[in-house]
Amino acid sequence: MALDRLGEPGALVRRARDGDGAAWARLVEGYSDLLWSVARTTGLSNSDAADAVQTTWLRLVEHLDRIRDPDAVGGWLISTVRHESLRLVRHRPPPPDERPAEHSATEQVVLAREHVCRVGSALRAMQPRCRNLLRLLAAAPSYAELSAVLDLPVGSIGPTRARCLAELSRRLSA
Amino acid sequence: MIDDELLGRVRAAFQAVDPVPEGVVAAGRAAFAWRVPGAGLAELADEQEERVLAGARGGRVRALTFTGAGVTVEVEVHDTGRGRELTGRLTPAVAARVRLRHVGLESDGAVVEASASGHFVFAQVPEGLASLVFELPDASTVVTSWVRL
Repeated sequence: MALDRLGEPGALVRRARDGDGAAWARLVEGYSDLLWSVARTTGLSNSDAADAVQTTWLRLVEHLDRIRDPDAVGGWLISTVRHESLRLVRHRPPPPDERPAEHSATEQVVLAREHVCRVGSALRAMQPRCRNLLRLLAAAPSYAELSAVLDLPVGSIGPTRARCLAELSRRLSA
Repeated sequence: MIDDELLGRVRAAFQAVDPVPEGVVAAGRAAFAWRVPGAGLAELADEQEERVLAGARGGRVRALTFTGAGVTVEVEVHDTGRGRELTGRLTPAVAARVRLRHVGLESDGAVVEASASGHFVFAQVPEGLASLVFELPDASTVVTSWVRL
């Protein structure tokens, strides 16, 4: 389910608090793509990204009664999955005899499936920073929720987004 | 909007090459079943890890401390290579019912009784995400945050 059809996330949180499993399922279905994108853009493997996302939902379950602002649950989820992802990145360094990956998980996937479409090919040619930014912006409902993971002030997300989109546009028409 | 159309194509590209695995969505839905309404939360406050090389109990020991909801839970997870033993202490010391929940297990988890000194032991703990649930003598419940054992 796309986030723009999710309705008000805060209302879903309040309903889940009251024990409404269907509201919980809609939250999970609405945010899974975004949380997966955040975990993958930190460079985690499939299984570690799955771990980070699962841990994030378990954290929301344990914090459900304590979330101060249910309407801001999206930002809370994004911050949490980023925190869990970075913790896994730190705790699971590559073995000493293994060279660090030259490409992040996201990059490898895009490289491997270059033929899928011209957009994939154009994204592959871009710097990881722009590529990851566009991936997250494409999956996220608002700048405000993303500012924590992008390490960018809310005010500079717009210009950076415009610059990266312009570059993608240029590559697509080249 | 041309930008929105372009972002839509970016979204489609990533969903084609790196979609969210269905198992990840299913695990998220299933997480709701672990909710204990009204439970206090003791969150991970400290984590230490050391290797124990000497003796028959050599291996890896992780010390985890959870605090919150008026309690402190100190846990040691001893990984011998053949299995994991979890020993813990609840402070203030009370005789509590302790349940170890584990996402990899179908059941509600293993249950032991903490002694009057607050000590408890789980002899065999599988690897994976786990959390402890304490049922205290005053009928309140405290859960620890989930950690990967």
